[in-house]
Amino acid sequence: METKIGIFLCNCGEAIRNIDFAATKEEVAQIPGVSCVNLSSNLCLKEGKEKMISCIKEENIEKVVVAACSPEFKEHIFRQVLEDAGLNGHLFSTANIREQCSWVHDGDVTGKAVELIKMAVNRARLLQPVEKKKFAVNREVLVVGGGFAAINAALQLSRVGLRTTLLEREAILGSETAELGSLCGFDISSMMSEVEGDENIEILTSAEVTAAAGKIGDFTVRIRKGGDEASHKYGAVVLATGYQTKLALESELKSDVNIVSQKKLCRMLENPNLEIRPRTIGFMFDFSDENSRLPTLATLNNALAAKQKWDSEIYVFCKSLKVDGPGAEKLYREARDCGVVFLKCEARPRITAGNGRVKIEAKDVFLGEDTILACDLLVAEELLLPSEGTEALSSLLNIRRDSRGFYQDENVHLYPVASEKKGIFFVGGCRGDLDLSRVLTDVSSVVVSVYELLSSGNILAEVERVKVDPQKCVACLTCIRVCPHDAIQLVRVDGGKEVAEVFDLACDACGICAAMCPAKAITFQGYRDEEILAQVETIEES
Amino acid sequence: MNSCIVAFCCEHSAYPAADLAGKLKLHCPESLRIIRVPCAGRVDVIHILKAFENGAVAVLVLGCEDGACHHITGNTRAKERVKYCNMLLKEIEADGRHVAMFNLSPNEPHKFVRAVNEITKRIKESGR
Amino acid sequence: MIIAERKPMEEIRQMIAPYKKLLLAGCATCVAVCWAGGEKEVGILASQLRLDQSKGRKKISVLEATVERQCEKEMVEELRDKVQEVDAVLSLACGSGVQTMAEMFEDKPVFPAVNTTFIGMPEREGLWVEMCGACGDCFLDRTGGICPIVRCAKGLLNGPCGGMRKGGKCEIDPEKDCAWVLIYRRLEKQGRLDLMREYYPPKNYRAVKRPGRIQAAKA
Repeated sequence: METKIGIFLCNCGEAIRNIDFAATKEEVAQIPGVSCVNLSSNLCLKEGKEKMISCIKEENIEKVVVAACSPEFKEHIFRQVLEDAGLNGHLFSTANIREQCSWVHDGDVTGKAVELIKMAVNRARLLQPVEKKKFAVNREVLVVGGGFAAINAALQLSRVGLRTTLLEREAILGSETAELGSLCGFDISSMMSEVEGDENIEILTSAEVTAAAGKIGDFTVRIRKGGDEASHKYGAVVLATGYQTKLALESELKSDVNIVSQKKLCRMLENPNLEIRPRTIGFMFDFSDENSRLPTLATLNNALAAKQKWDSEIYVFCKSLKVDGPGAEKLYREARDCGVVFLKCEARPRITAGNGRVKIEAKDVFLGEDTILACDLLVAEELLLPSEGTEALSSLLNIRRDSRGFYQDENVHLYPVASEKKGIFFVGGCRGDLDLSRVLTDVSSVVVSVYELLSSGNILAEVERVKVDPQKCVACLTCIRVCPHDAIQLVRVDGGKEVAEVFDLACDACGICAAMCPAKAITFQGYRDEEILAQVETIEES
Repeated sequence: MNSCIVAFCCEHSAYPAADLAGKLKLHCPESLRIIRVPCAGRVDVIHILKAFENGAVAVLVLGCEDGACHHITGNTRAKERVKYCNMLLKEIEADGRHVAMFNLSPNEPHKFVRAVNEITKRIKESGR
Repeated sequence: MIIAERKPMEEIRQMIAPYKKLLLAGCATCVAVCWAGGEKEVGILASQLRLDQSKGRKKISVLEATVERQCEKEMVEELRDKVQEVDAVLSLACGSGVQTMAEMFEDKPVFPAVNTTFIGMPEREGLWVEMCGACGDCFLDRTGGICPIVRCAKGLLNGPCGGMRKGGKCEIDPEKDCAWVLIYRRLEKQGRLDLMREYYPPKNYRAVKRPGRIQAAKA
């Protein structure tokens, strides 16, 4: 027996003027399988929805077509209406007769509207239900790293009740963070004692990841500590593996004792036994790398400290100062008030060293003159790079990195702390965005996401929206290789045959696997070949 | 042969751009038929060829900008398939049938309209 | 597995020119995996043939069917009804499949739509490389698992030749790695370089009588 299709037309409060709804209703009622056609002026509002539900129930409608505004807005509303009427929410197709028909053409567009409805009906006829179920997930979180971002992530995760493992490859936690604290002017000691005292946080030092597999809610990570290796299970992984710096200098200058990094200067400032205090200090940054918020902050803090401790003469050479973080502009004014001189240069200064002094030749944009400065100490520009082991770790986890080698955000604007693989997040320096003020925001962002996913111990997700037919699968591995979300794995089924299987939790429903499968073994409900071709083939009928 | 232009629009970029074109009352030819897909990478060669078999005069595949595909590689794969399709059509001297790929962002309705106009121009120039 | 590649369209056209009704027969095994002759490729070729209107070509009617393995008589038998409806069969299977079809349906012309090229593997999705020459006298045990018959341009058994280029590239094809350099490095890793000092006599290409015929011992 033909499946019963119900069509619901809406004129959007009569905002759709150039479609003859009466004629449309008459014509679409004749399409085979259509058992009722209703016209409403407010289908998405309470009254309209209630009428829809009662019509579906009374006429025993099995599939629904809505001809109204764009599905981008109201699709989820109508899916819910179907569920409320006792139908699976996937048995629903739209004809966009407003934005993509009435509004984008002049004159009467009834003919096109009818055709769009026919396309939707032909697709609806083939639609199959997709169920949802609760998938049990592991509530523990792995945080890889031991610096500022990692520690804060662990603390915040613990506060929301999730057990966390903090995995640091060095022997002590936060070894670099202390220096960072001095560089950026904050005290980390309270943070350290908090994390060490937290019962919800397991700290593993001198430990590293040697293998990783699985999917969100069920990651299996092999950790090596000392001579032992063991597998552990986690629901989510947060990477906070940080960054490193390299002096951006010609090689012959790198070994000069009077050319240092910001961290080295920090250590010199803290050294009470320093033999000779530099009288003139030059700072250089923002020429090779535009990512200079952190260098700006570091320079300002170090410059002020040097002024206070050593009363040195300080000159800063840069293209621009990135003072848009909280407190940065105040620091800048303080530094100026103390007598730190800032020179804006378009071109990179020339550096030469010898006889215990470092010579900087630069052209200040405002003075328009060439300036030559002979200083005792130069704090050179540093390139900000992903830390050692970032490439290896991203390989183990099978996630992408961007062109600079930092972990690649799933969406630079909307999901900057998530990778393209569900359940793997990153915060802090390893993201390549070294704005300290944002690290805490990013951490909160990740914690909210992880909490939403794992806190209840299960995730409600669609079952077999994308499915590999094990009978047809020849294990050619094409889908496994091309899935951008690493959501397909090879599994053994009854009878010992190995076939590909889609992990429902990790799948992002893009359909790339379905398009590529050479054996046409993958069904993607809603976008199967038949469902797409049904729309394409409707066009001939016009 | 009817005069339809079939446009496969990815739900992350082209489909919202087409909606926005409607909101801004930009103008598109009435022969346009949009088919929504979750990613340009879902569009397969057979979908394009069947569109031509069913009388379409041109096919557009629209996806996210280079490097901005929500599913990373979908738009690149779509581009390769469109290129392959053009080769298949050339093999059979396909008589001026056009298939082209365009990339855009969801907030670029003018780019959407431009893509449709561009393909319409190509059809006119080839004498259909 | 067997790697095949679709024939140029001109060749296919010439084969099917006299016929009005065709069956395109695909195979879901090797040729499907290497994207040459599976159900998808049958659909694409069928679509092309239907759209083909060049040079006053008449419209043809095209049926499509794909079997699990076209070299199995029982599976090919499933196509009998469809074959009876058409004037000719265009098979997208490897040579083995084409011949099985031809034998099962002797009264119908069966044409090959693909060229069966080599035994190989995917280097990555969409890229297939030749690995094995089916010589019938495998000596991969002595070459660290790298076949010089196929991967050396000259098929040397005691290579490398004197013309190897800098960087370990082949004299004949500078894009190719010299197979014997690869073999050396592999044996080095395994600590079996002594094998490089062994001399191998000329290969017995008659090890497999052509056409090959193997009777397995009863299970």
